[in-house]
Amino acid sequence: MKIQKFWFIGFMIIFSPLLIQANHAFAHKVIIFAWVEKDMIYTQSSFGSKRKAKNCTITVENEKGVVVHEGKTDQEGNYSFKIPKKIDSDLILNLSAGSGHKAKWKISMDELAANPSEQDILNAMKKKDELEKKPSILKIITGIAIIFCLALGIKFLKRKPS
Amino acid sequence: MHISEGVLSGPVLATGAVFAIAGTHIGLKKIEYDHIVHVSILASAFFVASLIHVNIGPASVHLILNGVVGLLLGFAAIPAILTALLLQAVFFQFGGITTLGVNVVVMAFPAVLAHYMFLPMLGKSSTLTFTAGFLAGLLSILFSSILLGMALWFTNQNFFEISITIIAAYMPVMIIEGIVTGFCLAFLLKVYPEIIPVKKK
Repeated sequence: MKIQKFWFIGFMIIFSPLLIQANHAFAHKVIIFAWVEKDMIYTQSSFGSKRKAKNCTITVENEKGVVVHEGKTDQEGNYSFKIPKKIDSDLILNLSAGSGHKAKWKISMDELAANPSEQDILNAMKKKDELEKKPSILKIITGIAIIFCLALGIKFLKRKPS
Repeated sequence: MHISEGVLSGPVLATGAVFAIAGTHIGLKKIEYDHIVHVSILASAFFVASLIHVNIGPASVHLILNGVVGLLLGFAAIPAILTALLLQAVFFQFGGITTLGVNVVVMAFPAVLAHYMFLPMLGKSSTLTFTAGFLAGLLSILFSSILLGMALWFTNQNFFEISITIIAAYMPVMIIEGIVTGFCLAFLLKVYPEIIPVKKK
């Protein structure tokens, strides 16, 4: 009983900083975000809000998979380029961040042709912030709860006949 | 360490999925009734560990903890890691659903290997258990980096160059994981020795 109490306390000591820290840590995902503004395509790439994807390759393809443009992000994870000429399909922007990390962003034909207002750009920025949002504590707790529910299920299936 | 969607070829994804399913099947069979709680606790630790970033100079790395999970669970680590990776993909968009099989192979198989490599050292003394934990944490990441390089190589890329880059990138993680795993094991040996698997004679 004493050992179990110690184990519980130890477990809480190990896990509580993890859970607290988790809310302040950044997701291990790659994000590329792009928007159109005055004949230019602007991109911002990151591994989360503060971890910029530096010197990563951006390949721009049309719907047939033909590469129409290529470039590299700067130290802030930004890259911009002029909309390639004679584009008759949506554009797909591929970000390659090395070691198996890749992300995509699609810009539709309509978006390429439109002249966005300031509000459109603000909305696009909001969308970007949403993408870069840190994982919420609720999601973390839900994930752990699911793991324990699955364990209960396995325990039920493996129960010994009395 | 989580491979994103759209990076690997179909055959690599399929092979990874087959190995992951086979490993999960064996793992589920090997989970002992009394150890199910341990499996869920360690799966939860693995699920959360990737969110913990450690800043080393200008770079930022995150914990993986596959070494500690594998060392304590053996084959049962495969379903534990699979569940945690699936939840990470769904909730945090780490890796992806199609790459789940390969990610399980990359992270869980070296962990199982570490279990069988260092099982004889566990529980003997505090120093030996710490050493086993340190080596398991370090080597799990090393083998995972090699498997990650192989998965990329089978998708028509330069294996040697990629592997060296990946191993170099994960070098700090290997050391950190080794230390964390070592201390975890030494701590558990003192407060809850029942969780430490001991080689049956």
